Amino acid sequence: MSALRQIAFYGKGGIGKSTTSQNTLAAMCHYFGKKILIVGCDPKADSTRLILHEKAQSTIMQLASEAGTVEDLELEDVCKPGADEFHPDNNEITEGYIMCTESGGPEPGVGCAGRGVITAINFLEEEGAYDDDLDFVSYDVLGDVVCGGFAMPIREGKAQEIYIVMSGEMMAMYAANNISKGILKYANTGGVRLAGLICNARMTDKEYDLAKNLAEQIGTQMIHFVPRSNHVQRAELRRMTVVEFAPNSDQAMEYRELARKIIANDLKVIPTPLEMDDLENLLMEFGLEEEVEEDAIGKKAEDA
Amino acid sequence: MFVCGYHFPASEGNNVSFDKVIEKVKEGIDATGKTVTLTSETREGAKLETLTVPEGTFAHTAFVDFYENTDVQAKDGYKMIYYTNKYQISEISKSVDGDATKDLCKKLDDMNLYRVKVA
Repeated sequence: MSALRQIAFYGKGGIGKSTTSQNTLAAMCHYFGKKILIVGCDPKADSTRLILHEKAQSTIMQLASEAGTVEDLELEDVCKPGADEFHPDNNEITEGYIMCTESGGPEPGVGCAGRGVITAINFLEEEGAYDDDLDFVSYDVLGDVVCGGFAMPIREGKAQEIYIVMSGEMMAMYAANNISKGILKYANTGGVRLAGLICNARMTDKEYDLAKNLAEQIGTQMIHFVPRSNHVQRAELRRMTVVEFAPNSDQAMEYRELARKIIANDLKVIPTPLEMDDLENLLMEFGLEEEVEEDAIGKKAEDA
Repeated sequence: MFVCGYHFPASEGNNVSFDKVIEKVKEGIDATGKTVTLTSETREGAKLETLTVPEGTFAHTAFVDFYENTDVQAKDGYKMIYYTNKYQISEISKSVDGDATKDLCKKLDDMNLYRVKVA
């Protein structure tokens, strides 16, 4: 049995991080028989719905609040087996399986998301959720801001291998660079490494070049370019992953290829994040932003 | 890292030279006399055009290699090309094939889906 790999998907909110992570993990299970535990660390608690075929899983923080404390919970209360082919007892399609849990977050405007994340991870470890059978533990983490809370899986040395889901849009690239800064901060103390960018494409001009160049400049690889496909939305409406909904589709093949690469990936680096000026230069070079003369800065359209 | 589907060990860094990729792609592939046909289509599946890849170019060898080694199943003789691979093949071809594939590479850089058939 190979050593347990703890990976994490970080990315800007709304970039398709949970969709990409679930479809990729489903492909790792479906095509390669991998045994996986998903720890959703997004307050939206939508990191497992496609695997469970459910609206949203009850979170550890929700259940702890109902029960009194987290010590009152049992592992079975919070860690659910995936539906159909992802269930450990269903070996028709794959020997692999996916277990699902969501940390949950604080009420909006109150408390810190990091507390929920670390409480959840500690509880799962203590209750034996990280068992010897598993090949991967996958954290799904919001990364618009890498505040201490959302950096918790990195800070505590839980997630060792980070995949950043991004696109060729400015804010997605800004977030990717910011997450790299967070990884850099804890790389020497906790051993966390950046393992690659996943471009969840918006299908804009020069998107591949932009993503590849950003990856190169921050010292990593653009591991896979995932094209946009209606199959993803159709599967999501049925609360399914693409590999279950349309296993022979072109999009399922793209997720399979990404899964293959993640399984074989050994390029794990300490990132070299860009300064804001360099990031803006990159965006200008590939036409996402138009260069303006120094004297036009701050001028209205009619005056420029 | 991964280029044209091949894994290059981490010791080679995040910027593998084109020469190393070309060497890997050519390994065990005899593309001589083979006809490589590409089709393009929109995301909605509307067919756009059919293209032939000039023999003797890196792009020609790379598409033969992809066709013969990928796990993607053929439909009507054609295999879907991963977007990542088509961009990587185009990037290297622009550098080493020059004018022979200039127009082809311009098309490969677009957002359409391509399929390949080798006969």
